[in-house]
Amino acid sequence: MGLVKFLAKRIVAIVVTISLVVGVGYVLIYISPGTFYSAANMGQGLSQLQVSDPALYNQYLNSLNSRYGLNQPLIEQVGKYVWHSLTFNFGTSFENPSIPIIHQLAQAVPISSILAFGAIALAVVLGVPLGVLAALKRNTWLDSALTTLSMVGQAIPSFVLAVLLVLFFGVWFPGILPVNGWGTVGEAVLPIVALSAGNVAAVTRYTRGSMVEALRQDYVRTAEAKGVPWRRVVLRHALRNSLVAVVTVIGPTFAFTIISTLWVEQIFTIPGLGTLLAQAFPNKDVPMAITSIYVLCLLVMGMNLLVDLLYRVLDPRVKLQ
Amino acid sequence: MAVITAPGAIAVRTPRHHSQLWLAWRRYKRNKLAVTGAVVVLIFVVIGVIGPWVAPQNYAQANFLYANHAPSLRFPFGTDGLGHDMLSQVIWSFRNALEIAFGASLVSFLIGLALGLWAGLRGGLADMAVMRLVDFMFAFPNYFLSLFLVVAMGRSLLPILLAIAIPGWAGYARLVRGLVLGMRNGEMVEAARALGATQRHIARKYLLPNVTNSIFVAIAFGVPFDLLVMASLSLVGLGLRPPLPSFGNMIAQAGANVLGYPWLMYFPAAIFAVILLAFLFVADGLQEALDPKAGEGGRVPRSRRLLQIARGRSPAVGGARL
Repeated sequence: MGLVKFLAKRIVAIVVTISLVVGVGYVLIYISPGTFYSAANMGQGLSQLQVSDPALYNQYLNSLNSRYGLNQPLIEQVGKYVWHSLTFNFGTSFENPSIPIIHQLAQAVPISSILAFGAIALAVVLGVPLGVLAALKRNTWLDSALTTLSMVGQAIPSFVLAVLLVLFFGVWFPGILPVNGWGTVGEAVLPIVALSAGNVAAVTRYTRGSMVEALRQDYVRTAEAKGVPWRRVVLRHALRNSLVAVVTVIGPTFAFTIISTLWVEQIFTIPGLGTLLAQAFPNKDVPMAITSIYVLCLLVMGMNLLVDLLYRVLDPRVKLQ
Repeated sequence: MAVITAPGAIAVRTPRHHSQLWLAWRRYKRNKLAVTGAVVVLIFVVIGVIGPWVAPQNYAQANFLYANHAPSLRFPFGTDGLGHDMLSQVIWSFRNALEIAFGASLVSFLIGLALGLWAGLRGGLADMAVMRLVDFMFAFPNYFLSLFLVVAMGRSLLPILLAIAIPGWAGYARLVRGLVLGMRNGEMVEAARALGATQRHIARKYLLPNVTNSIFVAIAFGVPFDLLVMASLSLVGLGLRPPLPSFGNMIAQAGANVLGYPWLMYFPAAIFAVILLAFLFVADGLQEALDPKAGEGGRVPRSRRLLQIARGRSPAVGGARL
């Protein structure tokens, strides 16, 4: 398939999926019990008004309904909402009407992205050498130690690890690294470590597997027989070919990592997308809740597309589909 | 009667008959991690069932005189800011986790089973519709759908169970459909159809018994996954509504107070991690024991399988659920 056709098809698929997610999300919130406006997001004054002056209360509610378009038929509301989302016209949130959502996103998305991409980068930087090491020393104590470590690393969820890190650096050995907040480089270290532990394990395993495979290939033996230094054989001939496999892990890993940031941000009190989402959902801040999901979906699906393209660049034999 | 024995006859020992279950158990037993996991899971289930009778206090019992007490003889796991006994909270969490994790896995499996059987047996338009829906479910992280469902249904036990269960059907549907398609054209089904069996009869008597093992394994992988989703819902403020206790609630609450009251963190986080690992080992052992066919050829090594689970994909179900 040609590159243009592939891109067009994938982008259409992304738009359709995201529209469906936003539409279904809107309907689910619409049918949820209670009104869109509650004391939680419109202030206590509203419920007092309901008691003291029902007529004025209803008038106020009606004006809000027409302002947000809630008096239109559901199908029209969903259509408009999806269209506005797709054109990045997010409006304002209920909680924080003075700041447009797009401005809040402009602050939060970079933070979450730094965490997610930092975790992936750390995973590659640590995981690839460890995987190569395990493959070269295969079936020694080092290999089995790395295998065991990566099994544990994979199975412990990132937020539990985050909690353990907070215990370690906050309670037992305080003062080495900050355990909450955001703004300095040091404050990014622990969240990224918590997020990347599983990824380091994943990349190590995959690198080891494909390196073991690559080292068995004929071209490696040929290179060695022709007198190419061993270091060069490993780095040039074997590692280069096995890196393709590593790229395939990163796609699904990214989806998981970006969702994990939502949880880890809560533990380290970092004002990223997770915090916006965690404030919006329980308080039924409809625009913010749906928009945060929209942005997350966009990030995940865009990243998957990028990984597929990267895969194609690294291995021209791969057919795009 | 005289027993005639020909000279030189070899005593033929009839092979002992082993049931499938016994064979599976023998394979399972070899995997030490899986056995350890099974013991832990058993303890978890027992505590979950008898919890309400052994917990020293009711989970909602607040006692402000004893708020934020460190672990002591009276409160072995300490108390939280409202004076809840953390030991009781942990014990009650076992029960909630038990109900939701097993219940959610079962419900998503049942939805997947129904749709998968329908798609596989009916074929044609039904098959296409279900598979398009499956494609859609796999195209975005299903966790997001859980969030919306919690908002729509509320935060008590049953709604949370359903919010975790409903987005999880796609993998099971694909698995069941694949198994059905693989068998639909087999000789066994052909023979039954020739004898005049109805679709329904074929589905119940021929297809289901042949797919139970794979399905059992898929559900075993689903349980720890649902535990993870349940806990993570609490972290974004959509878990069980307090005072209903859950591991996620305790971990989220402890995360906010860890510097002042670290004991709130020790026990819930440690116990949750151990339970999760135990379930993963059990599921992994079950796969080895029940699905020996996977051993020839396309077998994924254990480390790789665990990795897939940890990444939010179940190897048995074969797709991303997060």
